[in-house]
Amino acid sequence: MDNINVLIIEDTVEESNKLVKLLEENNYTVSGIARTFQEALALFYKVKVDILIVDIFLNGVPEGITFAETITTVPEAAKPFVFLTSSKDRQIFERAKLTKPYSFLLKPFNELEVLYAIEMAIEKFYDQSDVFFTEEEDTVISGDSLFIKKGKSLKKVLLTDIIYIEVEEKYCNIITEKEKFVILISLTKILKLLDPNSFCRTHRNYIVNINKIVEIVPSDNLIVLQGKHHITLSERYKDLIKKVRTLK
Amino acid sequence: MKLSFRLHLLFYFTILNLFSQIDDTTLLNKEMIKLSDDFNSEIFFKKAINFYLQKQWDSTLIYSQKQLVTNNTKNIKGYLHFLRGTSFYHKELFDQAIHEYQLITTKNKLYSLSKMFLGSLYLEQKDYNKAISYFKDLENLSKQNLSFIKKNAVIHNIGVSYLHLKQFDKAEPYLIQSLQYEEQKKDTLELVGSYGEIANFYYEQYKDDIAIPYFEKAYLLAKQTNDFTLKKNTTQNMSVVEQNRKNFEKALIYRKEMEQWKDSLNDQNRIYEVAKKEKEFAVAAKQQEVDLLQVENKLKETQRNIFLISAISLLAFLGIGAYLFREKVKANRIIAQQKETLDELNATKDKLFSIVSHDLRSSVNALKSSNAVLLDNLQSKNLDALEHLLQKNSGIVNGAYGLLDNLLNWALLQTDGGYFHVDTHRLFIIVEHVAYNYKALLSEKAIHFENTVSKKAVVAIDQESIKIVLRNLIDNAIKFSKPKGAITIYAEESGNFWNLIVEDTGLGMSETTRSELLKDSALLSKKEHEDVLGTGLGLSLVKSMIQKNNGKFNIESILGKGTKMIVSLPKTTTNG
Repeated sequence: MDNINVLIIEDTVEESNKLVKLLEENNYTVSGIARTFQEALALFYKVKVDILIVDIFLNGVPEGITFAETITTVPEAAKPFVFLTSSKDRQIFERAKLTKPYSFLLKPFNELEVLYAIEMAIEKFYDQSDVFFTEEEDTVISGDSLFIKKGKSLKKVLLTDIIYIEVEEKYCNIITEKEKFVILISLTKILKLLDPNSFCRTHRNYIVNINKIVEIVPSDNLIVLQGKHHITLSERYKDLIKKVRTLK
Repeated sequence: MKLSFRLHLLFYFTILNLFSQIDDTTLLNKEMIKLSDDFNSEIFFKKAINFYLQKQWDSTLIYSQKQLVTNNTKNIKGYLHFLRGTSFYHKELFDQAIHEYQLITTKNKLYSLSKMFLGSLYLEQKDYNKAISYFKDLENLSKQNLSFIKKNAVIHNIGVSYLHLKQFDKAEPYLIQSLQYEEQKKDTLELVGSYGEIANFYYEQYKDDIAIPYFEKAYLLAKQTNDFTLKKNTTQNMSVVEQNRKNFEKALIYRKEMEQWKDSLNDQNRIYEVAKKEKEFAVAAKQQEVDLLQVENKLKETQRNIFLISAISLLAFLGIGAYLFREKVKANRIIAQQKETLDELNATKDKLFSIVSHDLRSSVNALKSSNAVLLDNLQSKNLDALEHLLQKNSGIVNGAYGLLDNLLNWALLQTDGGYFHVDTHRLFIIVEHVAYNYKALLSEKAIHFENTVSKKAVVAIDQESIKIVLRNLIDNAIKFSKPKGAITIYAEESGNFWNLIVEDTGLGMSETTRSELLKDSALLSKKEHEDVLGTGLGLSLVKSMIQKNNGKFNIESILGKGTKMIVSLPKTTTNG
């Protein structure tokens, strides 16, 4: 599991310091701090970014809004936002109409509020509300990763790292090359949100990353995956073979 | 010579009128009406009688003819011939009239009357012998049989007929009998005629001595009447008589008198004319007067209309004036009320300012003195005291910050300048976020804090305003809690609301304070615990914010045991 990369765009050093301290304490990685609009743009395309914390007013001008508008014009590149505002700023911001939903962090903020704002931003951005604050679920699935709530903070797992997923009632065991952990998510949701070209069901309880298949043994109803994981292939899901590129 | 003069004598007395010989015309008419009732079915007969009574002779002739053609009942026939005869007489078709009258049979009730008329008609036509034969038939009839006829007229007519035939010996008794009858009846006009008749009678026979007194009698009687024609004729006769006697002087006097009567007659006509003219003038004058009055009336009407219009407009003007005045009074009253409210609010604000600034000044002053002590301790390197002082300072600053924050929010609320956006929120998270800031304070006072709000408690609210509410409620709870007390926040479902309850085991409050606090204008209410500072701004803000979120606020408290602050917030309708 990786830390979440946060890009902070904030002109006030004290505010950014406070944020950095707070985020690092909660196992977030601050990938960069931008003081101006230009810096922010440069950093956004240079460093790894999973989420942005943007102050609306940069040096007295609402450039935060402009920045948000600029990066949301390219849908693939867009990332979740958290806007830092005061009560007054927020009204100005409401007037600017952004296509993507966002989250707010009202100054002065405390630790819980910051973490909550980040989680809200991810939920809203990937349109999977009521995940992190219920007991039923703890994972949001984006196009390339899983955002998993671990304690007070969030962790990230790249989908390409997953070898297979084992479903066990309400839980799912995620098996990657390095580790194995449990997340809370419903099977239907997982099947709906994962890319069917990469992930395939082989059994009532198994979802396999097609790219990690090493060998299929149809006679034994067996799939061998990287890391020498052996998974059952049930009759019902044997169509999978057609999807896999096989040497003839 | 004498004869030629005598020819001038007038025979006007004998001028006939059929109806003058009828005893009573109304009786005849009644008889006719009765007949018309008796023969109800005979429409033409009825109509003929009707027209007869109305003296429309042509119509009478037409309908009687129609009746004769359709119905030949003898009873009716006689009457029809009578009607026709009478009509012809009036049309002066005497031959036809005679023919019709002759058709009436003896049985008919009007037989005798028709005979009378026949006689009269022959007399008219100067066939005196025939006339005498008819009259003679009637002469000896009893009064009962002479229905509708004047007996005297029969006698008179016989006399006249003989007179015309110059059979004076036969005429004399009849005329005298007629005269005697007239004298008995004392009908002056008839009497004059009779006297004239007798006088003529004798004069014709050159019995001047007997004739002249009659002439004189006629003359004198005529003088008493108002009939100018009669006067003129009698006078003229006297004049002719005197002239024949060669008494020209008297004749002249009579002639003059006659002229006078003639003039009188003319005068009378002239008077009539003059009267008529006068009448015309009077009518014209009256018409003029009427016209004048009409014009006057019109003028008056116009004046009245003008008066009416002006009265109405004046009334309307007054009405509008009264209305405007009332409106103004009303407006003034409202303004006065508003002024009062504004004054009150202003006073409240002033008081608030003084309290807030006093509080802030004390805070800053405390910090100032604390900082001086801090510096002293720093110089003497007394680090233990330093930590304690810093903690104390931070406490003071936190208090001052809370006050300032409330002040700002209050100001924003007053100017409607705050951002307000209702969205779905979980109460648990909001409580967690707010309570996080009080962790230090809670542990310092050793107060046990617990947030047991259900994660299912989802409400539709504006997050920031509810955070302000919670901040104040927790602040108060801590303020009024004794060390080692407990504060619990939990939520209960209640219909369409979630009741968020902040419960403490603090000082509590009396019922009066409770109701004071719940009042709309509880700002700056009197404090029960004078040692604990406060402006009342916090609670006022709490109430306003809850109201803005469509929620309700309530307090339950037992003095000395603790307080429950209950905030009811609307459930989210979509996400339950």
